Amino acid sequence: MTSFAEIDRRKLLLTGTALGAGLASGLWPGLGSAQQPESSAAPQPDDAEADRIAAEFLGGATPAAQGLVLDLPALGDNPAAVPVRVHLTDPLTDTVFCEELIVLAQRNPRPLACRFRFTPLTGSVDVAMRLRLMESMGLRALARMSDGRFLEARGEITVAAGGCGM
Amino acid sequence: MSRPPRIWISNETPAPGEIVRIRAQVVHPMETGFRFGPDGQPLPENIVTRFQAMLDGELLMEWQPETAVSQNPYIEFTFAALRGGLLRMVWTDDSGDIAEAEQEIVLAG
Repeated sequence: MTSFAEIDRRKLLLTGTALGAGLASGLWPGLGSAQQPESSAAPQPDDAEADRIAAEFLGGATPAAQGLVLDLPALGDNPAAVPVRVHLTDPLTDTVFCEELIVLAQRNPRPLACRFRFTPLTGSVDVAMRLRLMESMGLRALARMSDGRFLEARGEITVAAGGCGM
Repeated sequence: MSRPPRIWISNETPAPGEIVRIRAQVVHPMETGFRFGPDGQPLPENIVTRFQAMLDGELLMEWQPETAVSQNPYIEFTFAALRGGLLRMVWTDDSGDIAEAEQEIVLAG
């Protein structure tokens, strides 16, 4: 009586093992052959595209390295949401304010991360957001002031893995 | 953007000239267009392309996110409370969908 049940159980186990082997060798139709890339996001090979966007923004001017601060965490443990903060250190007046600000993630598939526009009514520039980063890379923030000055801040960040295809 | 945006404001009744800080987040997938769907076709790009903050109809700041901005985009910004008024924030995405939030700012004293 018990031996029949025992045989059935063995048969079942054998079938299960065969199924597993079939899956592993890619013979199982549908599952094994359904391999496709999850994302077409590819990192920039170098900073050329970011430099081009920066040059377009600067229009030939040389940015000052003071006045703008880019705050990054020491390690981007979640590349799909890396906190980035950009702020101006000097107080703004009615006549001198920040008109435009861009943030560049230099090795992202699209290096321009975001753009800000401000008005004289803003009176203070301190912005923070969360970015997806493709790999460890350099970040740049560039600001255009109403008096024609350009400010720049740079930073480097190490991230765990690519976050652009998420 | 079916759910209302989440807003935090440092002070609704600031002193004149006080720096007011706003934190705002909206639920949005921020589809980059890089990913493929189950049929092997790329999922169409759909990101929040514009965020505007206005005080009594006058533009305070505008943010133009690109594909690098995370899902459920979070934005933090500041402004000097030179006058009171209705602070209105509007998010617009690629599909033309709009999310809005409002907060009355009253100057203290």
